[in-house]
Order: sequence, then C-alpha cells, then structure tokens
Amino acid sequence: MQWSTAPLFWTPQCWEVQFWQLALVSLTVVSFLIPECALLPEVLKSTIADIGEYYLVRNLSIHELVAHEFIDAFVKKGSCYALTYNTKIDQDNTAALLPNGKLILSVDKDTYEELGLQGRPSRYSGKKAMRYIITIDLTDAGFHPESKKHNRVLWALKEKKPLEFDFLLAWYNTGAEGSTLMSYFSKNQIQALKPKITFSTLRDLQCPVLQSNDLQGKPEESCSTEELFEWLGAVLNQVSLDNNSSSFLSTYCCPEPNTVVEKAFLCTITGFIIPEKIIQLLEQLCCYFGEPKLAYWLTLTVHGFADSPVSWRESEHGFHKGGENLYNFVIFRNLDYWLQMAVGAHDDCPP
Amino acid sequence: MAARAEPPPAAFERRVLRSAARHHYLRVRLELPDGGARPNAAQFKQLVVSALRELHGEVGAALPVDVLTYEEKTLSAILRVISSGLVKLWSALTLLGFYQNRRCAFRVLQTSPFLLALSGNSRELVLD
Repeated sequence: MQWSTAPLFWTPQCWEVQFWQLALVSLTVVSFLIPECALLPEVLKSTIADIGEYYLVRNLSIHELVAHEFIDAFVKKGSCYALTYNTKIDQDNTAALLPNGKLILSVDKDTYEELGLQGRPSRYSGKKAMRYIITIDLTDAGFHPESKKHNRVLWALKEKKPLEFDFLLAWYNTGAEGSTLMSYFSKNQIQALKPKITFSTLRDLQCPVLQSNDLQGKPEESCSTEELFEWLGAVLNQVSLDNNSSSFLSTYCCPEPNTVVEKAFLCTITGFIIPEKIIQLLEQLCCYFGEPKLAYWLTLTVHGFADSPVSWRESEHGFHKGGENLYNFVIFRNLDYWLQMAVGAHDDCPP
Repeated sequence: MAARAEPPPAAFERRVLRSAARHHYLRVRLELPDGGARPNAAQFKQLVVSALRELHGEVGAALPVDVLTYEEKTLSAILRVISSGLVKLWSALTLLGFYQNRRCAFRVLQTSPFLLALSGNSRELVLD
C-alpha cells in the first residue's frame, strides 16, 4: 500500500497536463469538502449539474464494442469509456474500454484458453496463472475491417466464445455530430442514468491546521499529510472526532493542531463519472479562491472502481483485500496543492 | 516605480510510503438471524472484545480496537485496529458464533488501511 504527496506551485496550463497523466480511468464516487462555506457558489452548482449522464446497457455482447461502426462513431470521435457492471475482478471475467481506444479483457484461465486471443498472465495471479489480461488496441492502424487481426478478434468474441456483460458506458464528445450512445444501442436494453448527488452542511467541524509546504507537519504548528488523510476519511464516514483517550468505544480524535469551523460544505457525487468532468470540477474549485475566502484549503476526493481491470493509466489493478484506488487533492488558498494517491496491495505505484 | 515581484520557482516534493499505515479499518455488519434485541454501541464493543478473548485470550482482548461508528438499526460499524492486530481481529470476528445465546455472524464488508477508502464502495453501487 503506497501513497505519495506533492505540494506544487502551479499555473493553470501546466496543471492540466499533469492531471491527465494522473487520472484514474473511471470513477465511482467523487466528494469535495469546503470549510467555512454554507452555500455553494452558483458556478460550482452549475458545474455539478452539468456532470453528465452515463448509460447502463444490459446483456451487451463484447464483439459489439469491436465492431467498426462503434469504433468509428464513438472511439475515434472523443473519449469513450466502458466498464462491466457487477463483475468482480478477482472472480469473474471483466472488460473495460479506455479512452485511448484500448479494450482490456481480464479473464479466467478457461475463458482465455477458449477465446484463443493473445494475452499475458496477470501479475497478481501467483505462480500458477489463473487470470489473463488481453489488450486489444481498437485504434491501431492494423485493426481495419479487412485485416487478419480484426477478423481473428471478431471470430473469437463472436463465434468461438461469445461473452456478454452488463456495461456502464460514457462518452465525452468533442463536439462531433453523429449518433449518441442511446440511439446506437437502442436495440439493447439501454438506460440513461444520472449520477446521484448529495449535499450536506457540517456544523462546528474540527479541521486540522495545515501548512502547504510542510508535508510532515510540525508539532504545535501543522498536521501531517497522513493525519489529514485519516481525518478526511473520518469526516466522510461520519466518525465522531471528539473522543477521550479513556473512552471505551473509540479513542479517535481530530489531529492537533486544529480549529473549529462553524460550517463546512460537503458534496458527494456517485455514479460512472469520467475524468474530463473531474477536471472541470477541479478548475472551478480552484477558482473558488479567486475571491477572498475564510477557508485555508479545500479537498476533492475521487474513488476509482474496485473491480476495474486497470487503475492508473494502463497499470493492472487487482482486488486483494480491498481494491482501493483513490486520490485526494488538497487545494490551498495560495493555490499550492497536495495530491495524495492511494492504492491497494495488488497495484502499481501511481505515476 | 515598484518592480513586480517574480513568482517563486515551482517546488515539487514526492513522498512514497509503502505499507506504512498505522491502522487498518474494517467495515463490518453483525447478523442476528434469530432476531431479538439489538446491542447498543457499548454492547457491540463488548462483543468484539469477547470475540478476541475467546480466540486469542487475555492478550488478544487487550488489543486496542476502536468502534469509530456504529449504527444500531443496521448493526453495521467501522472498526479501527493497529495494523499488526488486523489478522487477530478479523479471525476473532469470523469465528464468533453466539451473542447472548443467539446465533450471530460478523460479515466483513470492506477493509482497507485507508479510512477514506471506506467512504466509497463500488461493489455496493446499485443501479435501477
């Protein structure tokens, strides 16, 4: 289990490039916490309202994602995301489509042998490989409709071993005209869903004091990154922050030094959310400090899917005991930031 | 004429911590298939301690476990234990079979060295 933190002075242009490199492929829960804020600014409200829809398609055969009509309509014209719904990465076959056009299949040994496509053993399956990863690059020049590669893949997925899943789909359209996912999959059972959004205002919240250039904290002056990470988990899980060291139930308390803020705004968005929308949200959260504010910092937390076959960029992701892959931004009033990335045991170190 | 101050050069620091979490967190749910009165928070904590005592003796019972949250309605809780005690706690909860002479079982729903990871569980994402 590993995580890293970096404070950085940033300018808007260079920050966006770095963010793309860091983005998890697809996201399930996004939360942000703004101390000393009771009402959300209108700009943030509209960014949240604009978070977009995602789609759930039941019983979709995977060969339909390899069809050239789909690739030309969606994969090549914007960023298309797909992930199998309700499949467990440590037990079932799983598939994901990345925005760079790669289709990742994580399959068990029997399915791999029956499919007959080239893949590699999973890094986390032990001495005897019981899980294999197949990567198909849909935007590869050699993957055109008449090529041997394409025909082989189509034959394997359509005739040799047809695989069907419920898929979560999302598409970030770069303004191109054409069909939508809803109309393309109208023959399948497709449902458009909106992410679930909840707002709450926390009163009299103890918040740790932080110094942006002090990652390890200084006694009596500021808290460390680990203490903040645990505190944020406590707030989002509604843990009581006020216990005695002699209390029977719990001895957890807010790290010192801390201040009590009268009110704090917490928003949670749950669903299949794409990184492009997170960037927009992050930009608006940074603009929050464009006007003088009482808060010294705010946080944005993003969780990835525990059962996704990939976590950061294309590194393989396994579940082990928790499947956690998440990151947390702490943005300071002076526009420094901390980025904390956490992964489980069956994961690579994030970039 | 005052000169405009140059912005300070960008500083970057990266720290990587491996297996450094001091505590592990478990989200658990107690199942009481035979129904009956639900334990309150203190009784729940006592149950956890007695599970540890049953399997690991007095030394096990002295393991510091915090019940960070407890919901009586759903009998679910978040527990915190030091990392070296995770196996002891998890095994004790798994092998606990009775509460006040009623059958019971602990289900460990989620576990992580990060408390923040327990606030989002994609395996529980239910879509209509």
